Amino acid sequence: MEISEKVKKLIDDELKDLDDSSEKISEAFTCCVCLDLLYKPIVLACGHVSCFWCVHKSMSGLRESHCPICRNPYHHFPTICQMLHFILLKMYPISYKRREIQISEFEREADCFSPQLEDRVCKGQTEQEACHANNSQMRVDDTEASSFVVDHGDFHPTVANGTCQTITVDDALCTFCNQLVYHPVVLNCGHVFCESCTLVQKNEMIKCAKCEIAHPGRIPKVCLELDNFLEEQFPTEYALRKSSVQLKQSCGQQESPSTCSAGDAKESSPVLTSSGGHPLSWWGDHKVHIAAGCDSCGMFPIIGDRYKCKDCVEAIGFDLCGDCYNTRSKLPGRFNQQHTPEHQFELMRPNSIRNIMWRLLRDVSSAPSSTPDTPESGVTVVPSLSDDARESAESGFVTPSETGDTEEDQSNDHEEDSM
Amino acid sequence: MNPSSNSGGGTAGPSSGGGGLRLGGGPGAGGSGGVSGSSVGGGSRSWASTTSVSTSGKRIQREMAELNMDPPPHCSAGPKGDNLYHWVATLLGPHGTPYDGGIFFLDITFPSNYPFKPPKVVFKTRMYHCNVDSAGNVSLDILKDNWSPALTISKVLIALVSIFTTPDAYKPLVPGIAQLYLTDRDKHNELAAEWTARFAR
Repeated sequence: MEISEKVKKLIDDELKDLDDSSEKISEAFTCCVCLDLLYKPIVLACGHVSCFWCVHKSMSGLRESHCPICRNPYHHFPTICQMLHFILLKMYPISYKRREIQISEFEREADCFSPQLEDRVCKGQTEQEACHANNSQMRVDDTEASSFVVDHGDFHPTVANGTCQTITVDDALCTFCNQLVYHPVVLNCGHVFCESCTLVQKNEMIKCAKCEIAHPGRIPKVCLELDNFLEEQFPTEYALRKSSVQLKQSCGQQESPSTCSAGDAKESSPVLTSSGGHPLSWWGDHKVHIAAGCDSCGMFPIIGDRYKCKDCVEAIGFDLCGDCYNTRSKLPGRFNQQHTPEHQFELMRPNSIRNIMWRLLRDVSSAPSSTPDTPESGVTVVPSLSDDARESAESGFVTPSETGDTEEDQSNDHEEDSM
Repeated sequence: MNPSSNSGGGTAGPSSGGGGLRLGGGPGAGGSGGVSGSSVGGGSRSWASTTSVSTSGKRIQREMAELNMDPPPHCSAGPKGDNLYHWVATLLGPHGTPYDGGIFFLDITFPSNYPFKPPKVVFKTRMYHCNVDSAGNVSLDILKDNWSPALTISKVLIALVSIFTTPDAYKPLVPGIAQLYLTDRDKHNELAAEWTARFAR
């Protein structure tokens, strides 16, 4: 078939982009959605990585979303993984800049912005990390003196233009143990831990050791792309870490869980009512706020109560789910909204069409005797759930009139109401 | 509450996409509304996805380049004219099937929110196949509910070649052909080869 001139030119342009002279982008760091270098990477709970916007646009807004690669279901829009972001920024300075320009153009066009991560010391980064950043820059200067700088071998040739910096172990430290991250898992808040550092007992909520934000669901899977990269990049350190982790694991299974204690878990358990993991919970709960996401925990769509900021002027708005509202989350918005704690919220009603649909569907699919406001669906949906899970599932079924309760007693109160 | 005035305006300005390419009627404002908060989200836009013509254009351009570099076996695909969103593809009937020796033409139309919505694929060449109806529509799960933005045209073409070798008779578009495929394979293959000879050469 004959290819038109314009198309030919486009192909050539694209090919030029692809083998952009000095920077050969590793397959591992190519986003599966935009097929380009990852930009502001997000690691999903299944360990697969995609760009901020690619993840956001892949999400459903109507019900749970699925990983583009493995179709693993997830309900929360994770935060950007800053560690990976800065690694990529160092490794591919030219391509990353190109991506930045490209994405900011898109953002202007859509009038919707991703969080700014320009500085090492920006949100979520402690001074300690900033200090590390400085150290690593110094080490780049006197490469020979430092024991941390690992020979790149042929994996990533140092680039001639001088802007490419060497990746050091300091760029890939576990948030908890502060050593080279081994078998990295990335929590919903974007912080990276060794898998062994997140070991928790069953039924306990995982909480980030740094930002104290509970991670919805189970321990995420290891991000294999990052793990393989680190193994290649730092063979000696990686081997050391591997043996030490394995030694620790064989020594004592009883080693105290690092990221949370039983008390924490108890407190935070009502915080994540709708992330129980049973797929029907999406239809079991009749308060789904279509296309609205929680700017704190990332739940998308919001299930249960939705509080909308009355003062945020951005088109995308600022919303919180009931739990994040009750815990008075102070996080900034997911889309760089200028939200401040002084802003006022209003409780939003879920979409009415959606509710009518739900009622119709439910009447067809489950017991005809049920009425929308009784929390029976927890029972019909989850006969196999544990008591805990059922309790939390039911607490998600509150009607708006009941929401004035204090958050500590919330789940108990509702249990009484419904029993 | 903001009435989200830009749900149409923001996305329907295709002039920025694709390096001055004409963007056909397909990926216009019609598809871009989708399930965005403006229509169903109770009057506030919130996290409704924003579609951008430049994003889909970029991705299609990238796929085009990769297809050019490394085309999958028995397939070829590319834009019909200057329009990035309308492609033509050809599939060669694989050996060992009644479609052997046939050349099958396809029309591929990309939605403006590609790759978040699947491309539309229509066979232009008539064929005797239980998953392809007389209008050329294909029943293939990855082109409908099982679409994933990680899929590419090249993977779709590979999947289409694979239904030549193994038709899915349990989810047919043409039940009669599926019935014959399951009960009298020889007769089915004979007819399919006949159609291939008649329409696909």
